Amino acid sequence: MAVADFVKSAGESFRVGWKIESNWTDPVLFATYQVIRPLASLLIVAFIVIIGASVGASANAAFYSQYLAWLIVGNAFYAFVLQIMLGMAILVHVDRTRYEVLKNIYISPGTLHPYVIGRGLVSVVNGAVSVILTLLFSVAIFNGLLHMNIPLNLLSVNLLMLVPAVILGIISLLAIGYMLCAVNIVSNRMEFILGDSVSGIFFLLGGVIFPIALLPAYVRPISNVLPITYLLNAVRESFGLLPASSYMSDLASLALTTLVTLIIGITVFRLAEQRAKKLGLFDRKSEY
Amino acid sequence: MLPNTLTREELLTNLRAAYARMWVRLKGSNKEVTGLVAEIGLPILTIGAYVILYQAIGLPATAGGAVIIGGAMIAFWTNVLWNMSSQWFWERESGNLEMYLVAPVSRMSVLLGMAMGGSVNTSIRALGIVLLGIFVFQVPFQLADPLTVGLVFVLTLVALYTMGMLFASIFMLYGREAWNTANLLQEPVYFLSGAYFPRIYAPIVPFALQAAGSLIPMTIGLDAIRRLALNGESIASVWPHILALIASTLILFPLARRALNYMESLGKKEGRLTLRWQ
Repeated sequence: MAVADFVKSAGESFRVGWKIESNWTDPVLFATYQVIRPLASLLIVAFIVIIGASVGASANAAFYSQYLAWLIVGNAFYAFVLQIMLGMAILVHVDRTRYEVLKNIYISPGTLHPYVIGRGLVSVVNGAVSVILTLLFSVAIFNGLLHMNIPLNLLSVNLLMLVPAVILGIISLLAIGYMLCAVNIVSNRMEFILGDSVSGIFFLLGGVIFPIALLPAYVRPISNVLPITYLLNAVRESFGLLPASSYMSDLASLALTTLVTLIIGITVFRLAEQRAKKLGLFDRKSEY
Repeated sequence: MLPNTLTREELLTNLRAAYARMWVRLKGSNKEVTGLVAEIGLPILTIGAYVILYQAIGLPATAGGAVIIGGAMIAFWTNVLWNMSSQWFWERESGNLEMYLVAPVSRMSVLLGMAMGGSVNTSIRALGIVLLGIFVFQVPFQLADPLTVGLVFVLTLVALYTMGMLFASIFMLYGREAWNTANLLQEPVYFLSGAYFPRIYAPIVPFALQAAGSLIPMTIGLDAIRRLALNGESIASVWPHILALIASTLILFPLARRALNYMESLGKKEGRLTLRWQ
């Protein structure tokens, strides 16, 4: 299939996906909806730190404000994980069982792969909106409203460091989302738990709300092969919250884990596609 | 609509309907072992992250117990949200809602069956979460008054599932908003209820936040259970919580009944009760 056809199909899929996800309400309510969940998640961890500071649980006030900045950035960019994992994990179920269109998409010439990519890109856009709004609201709430002087300056972010890391991170997350779609094509029992499972594992092991050095030694090797770990390190380095000296090594690790994830994702998807064709799973109904 | 005076036969029919709906829920939710394992194991991932965060900022180990109890109570909120509040939406999507509506029973009895089945199912999962959490994270519990814990727990569930009945009526006419609204009521409620905080009624937590959180029965029940199970307090310190939970139920139940009748009649007028794929 020509690249132009692939891009065109992915674009159409994106258009459909965007309408499905956004036209259930007006744009203002939709934007509110996009920010409330990640902001609430952020407020949970922020208040834990604030409560910790209030009881003087650790050394000094500077520790808490620096930790809060570190945590805000990690939590904000975790929105990409949530959006992509939850969006792509449910995609096959919704299109196969609820709208009953997966079979039509499959029998159209060469549309399944660009369709999945296009729908995944909708989650990427949703994630980007959540990240930007969460960061803006965080600064407004913690520095503007609560005067906490958190060392987080959104205007001093190094975009040359941030953009490559985010692009690689998104590719790796889409590849993992591809695997989730593959699992759901051949199974009808995992759709409601897969996205939560994978995002839960990333939340615990990816260094989202605490440094991975605090994990037990026996699970740290798992953290070290997750792209999210390096994505969040590189993002924090671009915000000046970690020493920039490790940036290149984090970016290289992110590129390597992304490549591996991409290869596994495409392979798993193709295998699932073949199995589903063989067993006639593309029009299987699982609700009654 | 539930008649004002029930005959014995009508009462029995409604109780049978509730039992039947409970049976379906119990059977349906427990036939898949993967689902059961995931519903116990998944919250442990999040609980684990918060317990380690507590350690990172130097909070005491007892605070980890608060997270475990919070994580277990969240299982009930999730159940109320996805298997109670949005249930009419799912039933309409799968074409079952009209069958409920033409059945010679009150819709409240069907919701009661869902609530009973859901609370039993989720209690099994919540117990698993607490036991696994204690085993994995080795946090200390100080349970001095188990009877009061049981009482508060039951009152919390009754109030919470009554709130679910109220939401069910509101969700009845929703299209895709149902899915998005249920999503929207997750993290914000975890935040408002203080499920992952050491304590919601702490001086550092703004009063407005505490007041907003207190509108959710889970917040009140959670705080009482934490006091009893972690601090070793007795019924003397949680009687305001008990009164508040009883008051919540007494307010929410008639509201749920009225809302259900209103939304059903509105749905009939607008012809939206059988609409799919909105």
